[in-house]
Formats: sequence, structure tokens, C-alpha cells
Amino acid sequence: MKLRQVLQQNKSMSQTRRRMRRRNNIDAWVLMLPMVIILYLFVWRPTVLGGVWSFFRMSGYSVGEFCGIDNYKMVLSHTQFMPMLWNTIQYVLWSLLIGFLPPLVIAIMVDEIVHFKSGFRVLIYLPTVIPGIAAMLMWYFMYYPDQTGLLNMLLSKIGVDPYLWLNDPKFAIIGIVIYSTWKAFPGTMLLYFAALQGVSSELYEAALIDGAGSFKRFWHVTRPGIEGLLLLNVVRQIISVFQVMEAPMAMTGGGPNGASTPLSLQLYRYGFNSGGKGTGQAMALGVIIFVILIVFTIFYFWLNRKVENRH
Amino acid sequence: MFKTKKKSIWKAVATVTALVLICGCFVGCGKTVSDKDEQGRTMISVGSWPSSEGESLDKMNARKDRFEAANPDVVITPDTWAFERQTFYSKAAGGQLPTVYMAGFTEIPEIIGAKYSADLTNVLKKRGYDGKFNDAIVEVLSNDGKMMAFPTMAYILGLAYNVEMFEAAGLMEADGTPKQPKDWNEVVEFAVKIKEATGKPGLVLPTAGNSGGWIFTSIAWSFGVDFMEKNAEGRWQATFDTPEAVEALQFIKDLKWKYDVLPANTLVNGEEWYKQFATGNGAMTITAGDYPRRVIKYGMSADKVGMMATPAGPKRHVTLLGGEVLCVKRNATEDQIDAAIRWIETAYNYSLTDEYKKNAEASIESQLNEGRHVGIKSMSPWNVNTEALAWYHDYIDSKTNANINHVRLYNEFVANCPADVQPEEPVCAQELYAILDGCIQEVLTNKNADCATVISNANSDFQVNYLNNLL
Repeated sequence: MKLRQVLQQNKSMSQTRRRMRRRNNIDAWVLMLPMVIILYLFVWRPTVLGGVWSFFRMSGYSVGEFCGIDNYKMVLSHTQFMPMLWNTIQYVLWSLLIGFLPPLVIAIMVDEIVHFKSGFRVLIYLPTVIPGIAAMLMWYFMYYPDQTGLLNMLLSKIGVDPYLWLNDPKFAIIGIVIYSTWKAFPGTMLLYFAALQGVSSELYEAALIDGAGSFKRFWHVTRPGIEGLLLLNVVRQIISVFQVMEAPMAMTGGGPNGASTPLSLQLYRYGFNSGGKGTGQAMALGVIIFVILIVFTIFYFWLNRKVENRH
Repeated sequence: MFKTKKKSIWKAVATVTALVLICGCFVGCGKTVSDKDEQGRTMISVGSWPSSEGESLDKMNARKDRFEAANPDVVITPDTWAFERQTFYSKAAGGQLPTVYMAGFTEIPEIIGAKYSADLTNVLKKRGYDGKFNDAIVEVLSNDGKMMAFPTMAYILGLAYNVEMFEAAGLMEADGTPKQPKDWNEVVEFAVKIKEATGKPGLVLPTAGNSGGWIFTSIAWSFGVDFMEKNAEGRWQATFDTPEAVEALQFIKDLKWKYDVLPANTLVNGEEWYKQFATGNGAMTITAGDYPRRVIKYGMSADKVGMMATPAGPKRHVTLLGGEVLCVKRNATEDQIDAAIRWIETAYNYSLTDEYKKNAEASIESQLNEGRHVGIKSMSPWNVNTEALAWYHDYIDSKTNANINHVRLYNEFVANCPADVQPEEPVCAQELYAILDGCIQEVLTNKNADCATVISNANSDFQVNYLNNLL
């Protein structure tokens, strides 16, 4: 009898638990619904439709007949496709070379500062709050190739001839990457700074007692504490820089003679500057970039899981 | 208890937001848009409406009030969207274009090709427009003999110059008439003289944002270049891999490396171009007759603006024809087209109506108030015999705010044009301009660039990337 009562009790408890779980699920969906609708309208639907329409002949934004992989053929046989892909890779490589270390170095420096730490943090964060176009114009005028450019003014003070800066095809991408690094490093710096706060001060004290210098302290204490974040940022930086578009569009227009045109700028031109003739190609190029980036994204999630598991 | 209540509020907010979003998605579905309001009046929307408070908006609103009083069967809805290549095609596909919208001559072939403009022929015929438009312009705006847009402004390219820099180089007559370079060689001579006299570049040309290619096509035509032709199978062929095109590009290259008369910046888009010219960083430039409106914001006042004829090239004396039009959106009803033309007529008319005079006077007054140069008589969309044009030219003469001799040579060039007046290239014009931008940038940034190779690559790029893809 008792056993039956216990079983009955257990059954009703599990039913209640199931009911609560179901209710929680419904609550969660109700709360998520607005965001799901927004994501469907502005992210998932356009992404899927873009993929589907890349197989159709488009007239402006009106869908024409099915054309197989014609749009892909047009994109891949574009005489500038390979140079633009190489430009994009150069953006990524230069951004890793120029842009990867400064946020970390500055985060460590800010972490070491004893006085006015929060003041420095605000000052260093300023480039991020400057509107993008204003910042690009500022750098455009700093790079201006005649005597009125700020950098050339400085060069003239030390008796050096004016340099072409963004007008030099070999420097255009580097110049844009320097600007992008300046604009984006404070956000990353704050992430590193937060991670540095998590490194136990006892480990530093122990290292000091063991006679470790500043480099050894960094290598044996700081680095292991933030290396997960460092790895994730490398992948995030690759994904984000691969889609660079606004800076080359505003600062060089992709020139000189296409020397700084990345794939995303070409996608923009197909979509918005082709008089409606290139919409299909824009979607095909979008899919190509998507496929390239999805590889990095899968790698990013795999790495993220590894890092989370480790910590 | 409090927590449960808070949770319920959040759930209610989320449900309402979701419902609003879902309803938003279906708004307009199955709705038939009528061209009439409840009172039976024809509704039209008009684009390029001034968006900020000020003189322009006040004048436009006053024009609307007068129009609606004189045409009680029509109601105007202002729309501040102005033509942009970047947004046009998405708006057109979504049926969101204003009934009346402005566009440039460059875009008209694509707009007509995509069937985004209505056929105005019947209404124009009914309203007596036969023979009133300039024939050269009708040719650009027609498709199979049908008039697909209403021309409002036209221009041919000329040589603009900075009056003060010309004076400094001794290139002005005592009465304020500039010396006219007859051909490109003389342009170089002038530019060198100006550089010697002022230390500033004698010439500024656009090189980016498709503006460089646009200006280069007209220079290249004068060297005898034909950029494309339709072959026997009806397919377009790029035809500019020629010694003439190489010579034209060599001319541009020499301006930088042989004569050093160009500014240091070789990435000059449309905005940078006018800024450089207006701020004295280039004494001459090739541009359209409407350029005073573009340079006034950089402080180039009316007395510093000058304009003369386009110089001749070694093979041809030719200038480019451009302008602006008003289109009516493709699915407009016959009543809407009629109402749209009546609205357009209030500012652009062959007949000298009181309303036309009032609006033309208001437009000139605005230009004078802004300090813009008034005195350039641009090419007209109208036949020279129309009474409105004769009145308008006399009115400009009476209102000119600078020495008329500064622009006399251009006005004479427009009135009795000795050069061939050529419209822009018929297909893929913007794509061609973008490729030519690259050619110019290459020869201006690379002293050792081989013009023949650059032109040959450009010709092949244009064929493979664009002309081969045309249906």
C-alpha cells in the first residue's frame, strides 16, 4: 500500500515537473518570440533568399528566370576576382600583424597603472565612440598626400619629402589597417583588460618571490590566464576583417587602380552601383564569402567550446 | 509574488511586440492602392522635396499650395527621397518610388531598360509638347519613339576656370574675357603658365568615384576613340584598345609626370574634385555648366567663377551632353501621369505662364541669395524657339551677379555649338567609368606604367566583366 502511495506521489511529482518544464518552455518562447521574428525578417530570411536568388537572373531586385550557376561563373571569371581576394587576404594578414598586439600591450599597461586607471581607460576608449565616417575622414586628411596632410607636415619638419600615403598602391591597405586598428583596438583592449583582472594576484606574487622578471611574469602567469581569449580574438578578427568594406570605400574608393578593393566592396558595387544588373552576382559573391567565413566560424565555435571547457 | 508579476508584465510586452511585428509583416498584403483620395482627387507623390526647414522648403510648399489651388483635382504628397543609384533599384522593386522622381541622363538608359519609368508620350502630345523639346535630348530620352522622361535641365561640358588664377597668369583680357585654349596642347601651356605664376596646379581632373572615367570619355572622344559598338549579332563589343585611346591616356599621364600641373592627390572623387577646384588647388577643370552650385559650399563666390568652351582634340571637337530629367513611376495611372506633367509644368515649361515665371524667378532669387554665380546659360531642354527659353535667358542677363564676360565664351559655345554634342555611352556607362578611373589612377601613381598595356587590359576587362554579361 505504502509502495503504491510512494509510486503515486512520484508520478504526480514528475507530472508536475513536466508541466512546469513545459510552462517554462512556453514562457521562454514567448519572451524570445520578438527577437526570433526580427532575426527571421532581417537575418535568416534575407540570407536564405540571397542564397536562393543567387541561382536566378535578377533585374534590379525583381527575380527573373532560373539560371543555374551563371551568376557564380560571372563572379569567379571577373578579371579582378583573384586580385580582390588577395587584397582581402592582405587586409587580414596586415590586421593580424599590425592590429593584434596593440590592444594586449595597452591592456597590460593600463592594468599596471596605479593612478588614474579609470581616466586612462576612458581616454583610450575614445576612438571607439567617434562616428566611423568622421574618424575615416580624419585619417584621410592625416594621410593627405600634399603638404596639407598632417603626416606630411610632420615629415616636412624633419626635412623629408611628402609621401603619397593612400595614393601609393603598396601602402593603401596598410594605411587602412592602421586606421582600423586605431578605431577598433579599445574594444578589444577592454576585453583583455577584463581578462587580466581575472588572473590571480597571488600567482604574480609567487612569481615575484621566485625572482621572475616582467617578461617571465607575462609569459608564465599572464599568458596562460588569457590565452583562450587571445585565440578567440584571432579568429574573430579574421572573420571581421574579411568583411572590411566601409574604410576602403570612404578612404580610397578601392584604389589606386583597385589596389585596396576587398571582396565586400565588390559585393557592394554589384548590389548598389551596377544599375540593377549585378544583383544576382552580388548574391552569388555573398554566398562565396559566406562559405569562406563559415569555415572560420565553425573553427571559432569549436575553439570557443575548447576554451570554455578548459576554464 | 512581485517576481511573478514582473515576469507576467515581460511576457505581455513580448507577446504584444511579437503581434505588432507579425501584423506589420502583413500590412499592405492584398491591399489595392488607389490613385484617388476619398474626395476623388488624383494623388501623386513628388520626390526630391526639401527635407530641412528653410527658404527652399518654404518656396516648394508655396508652389504646392498654388498648384493645388489651381488644380483642385490633384493632391500632392511631398517625398524627401532624392535619386540615389544605391537605393533606387530596391525602392523601385518594392513599389516605393514617388510618382515623380528626378534622375540623371546617365541613368536613364538603365531606368528605361528596367521599365521603371512610365511612357509620357500620350499626355505630352495632348498637352502640346510636340516639337517643343530639343531634338538632341529627345533622342536620349526616347525608347522606340516613346518619350520616357521629362527633361528639366541639360548641359554640355565646358572648361571652367578660376578667375583670380587666370588673372595672376595674365590669361585674361582687360574686359574680363579669358583667353580660350583652342586645343589640349594649349590647355597644357595655360596650366604650365599658371603653375609658374601661382605655384598652384594649373589643372584638376577627377580620377575616382566614376567621375574620372566620365570626364575621360569626353577627352578620349576628341582623340578619336570609340568605346563600344554593336556587332552584326547584336552584341556589344569594347573597341577602345586603339592607338587613339593610348594617346588620350598618355595625355593624362603627361599632365602629371611631364608637365607636373596636377594636384598631388590622385584619388579625386566627385566631391574632392570640386573642393580642389573651388579652393584654388587647380585653376582649370572640365565640367558641366551647373558647377557653380557645387563650388559655392567651398566659398567660391560668383566673381571667381568662369567658364569657356571645351577645347578641341587632335581628331574631333566634341563635348558631352548630360542633364537631369523627371520620371513618372511605371505603374502610374493615366490620371497620375497627367497630374504629374501639370505639376512639372509649373517649373519647367515651353510656354511662358505666370506660374512658370514665378517659379523661375524664385529659383534665380535663391541662387542669388546663396551667392551662387548667375549668368551661365546652360543648354536648354527646350527648342530654341520657345518663348519661355527666350524670356529665361533675358532674365538671367538681367540678374547676373558677376562680370558676364567671365562666362560669355561658354554661353556662346552653348548657343552656337561648333563641337559635336555627344550623349554618354549607351550601355554600362558607369562600369566603363569605373574601369577608366582605374586606368587614370594607374598612370598617375606609376611613372613607368605602359599606357598601351593599361588600355588593352581595360578594354578586355570591360568586355569580359560587363559587355559579355549583357543579355
